[in-house]
Amino acid sequence: MMQRVWALALVTCKEGIRDRSLYGIFLFALFVLGLNIAVAGFFMRDLGKVTVDMNLAALSFAGLLLVFFICINLMAKDIDKKTIHLVLSKPFSRAEYIWGKYFGLLLVVLFAQVIVLLFSCGTVAYVHGMYPNYFAGFHWPVFFIAAFFIYLQQALLCAIVVFFSSITSTSFITLIFSIASYIVGVSLEEVVFYLRTQAASQDVVASLQLQRTLETVSWLVPNFAAFDFKIEAAHGLALEWSRLAMTCGYGISYIIVLLVLASIIFKRREFN
Amino acid sequence: MSERFDSKWWLLILLVLPVYVFFQLGSWEQRGRLRCEQTVGFLVPSQYSRVLACGYKGLLADFQFLRILTFFGDRSTNQQPVTAQDWDYFRDSIDVITDLDPYFYDPYVLTEGFMTWEAGRYQEANALLAKGAQYRHNDWRLPYFIGFNNFFFLKDYAAGAEYIMVASRLPGSPGYLPTLAARLAYYGGKSQTAVLFLKQMLAENNDDRMKARLQMRLQALENAAQIEEALQQFRNDKKRDISALSDLVTAGYLDNLPEDPYGGEWGVLENGRVFSTSKFVEPKK
Repeated sequence: MMQRVWALALVTCKEGIRDRSLYGIFLFALFVLGLNIAVAGFFMRDLGKVTVDMNLAALSFAGLLLVFFICINLMAKDIDKKTIHLVLSKPFSRAEYIWGKYFGLLLVVLFAQVIVLLFSCGTVAYVHGMYPNYFAGFHWPVFFIAAFFIYLQQALLCAIVVFFSSITSTSFITLIFSIASYIVGVSLEEVVFYLRTQAASQDVVASLQLQRTLETVSWLVPNFAAFDFKIEAAHGLALEWSRLAMTCGYGISYIIVLLVLASIIFKRREFN
Repeated sequence: MSERFDSKWWLLILLVLPVYVFFQLGSWEQRGRLRCEQTVGFLVPSQYSRVLACGYKGLLADFQFLRILTFFGDRSTNQQPVTAQDWDYFRDSIDVITDLDPYFYDPYVLTEGFMTWEAGRYQEANALLAKGAQYRHNDWRLPYFIGFNNFFFLKDYAAGAEYIMVASRLPGSPGYLPTLAARLAYYGGKSQTAVLFLKQMLAENNDDRMKARLQMRLQALENAAQIEEALQQFRNDKKRDISALSDLVTAGYLDNLPEDPYGGEWGVLENGRVFSTSKFVEPKK
């Protein structure tokens, strides 16, 4: 079973790497990294923080573009172009197809992220060399931890893409649902905590109702803010192992639940 | 045919380009004028901007910080006066930026540099700096700025000394801070606070040269505190003021007048405070 999943993952990965849009995403990331070198000098003291902010933002945004425009395309192409019939005529179970595709997407994202991260390390090292006195709070390990959690966030987003691809018939609907999930997931925490505060509860009319609705949504949509370690990396703040472990556990368990659900739905799906 | 077709397009480009250049220059000039006329920039309150940042709070804080720098840079370049409304915008912007990323140091430096010296809004500056000190709790510079503002601008020596004492206990703080804090505490009318602070600093310090300096200041402050205490006792008992400090010795409140280790002469201010002509500064060798 693992062999079949791995074979499909490799095929998906190769297909993803061949996509020309990947070059565009790399160019975008390089532009942001170049911009970082240009604007770092505009700031007064916290040049290290600004550099890390821009580098991790480039890494994260490049990953988002990759998931939304390449991964969705890779996932939905088989169904859109009806090549799914050809794939499923091979000795693959539908669940293996879902998991194989997912691991393929993970490999594409990993490939792109490693390349952008390499460039990013070069930029950080270069700006560090230019302004060595303004990087007091910077620590490489925290920077890499933040980069890892950006990858985990994108792995989760890939699982969402796979899930929506298993229930929808066009890539456009998958794109809309995935972007909506991301926007809700990334801003949910702020809104939930805002409403939880006593002051907000007094100010906002019917906040209790809203709070309950949002608490329910927070069980359905992943809290992407939990994977955000950019501020910690920017200031080299200490990270607790328990927080890292909890976030990893949260992300991985959500991915597994989503993929299992996607497998169940995909098994029952009929293709015309 | 093809060459004729190409030359038509080249002609069109030559006609369109000057039009584009005209509008490009006009548009930038218009934008520049509008920016000068703009009273204050727009600002999204932090409870919304934190959500709208979509996970890029740090980057949004950087961008907002650049905007505030540009806004005040424009005012300065065009030699426009900075109004009270502009300063409100400045304060609110710094508040939003530090809500987005409370660890960001530059906004606090800007606050200390502009809001105190130029706007004279010391309390507001201190409130923002206190917010920073809450997050950057290992950074000695923020309590130092608050202490400085209290001492230099607000003339609140006691509060100033208190913050500089806090700053001096933080890692990386310069060696002169403990003695500065003690001096401020002394001038703030709290010699005993300064004595206690110095004793704690002495206990925590391993550097011999540093210890010697602290020891000397401690001695001076203890002596000053001793005189102040005797003076207070004298006033309470006799219900009158002394004519000279030696009265304390002759009346038996002090065995002898303690020396100022810095070599100064003791005196009493009108408000009854004991001071030394050395101002607790080591004489130049």
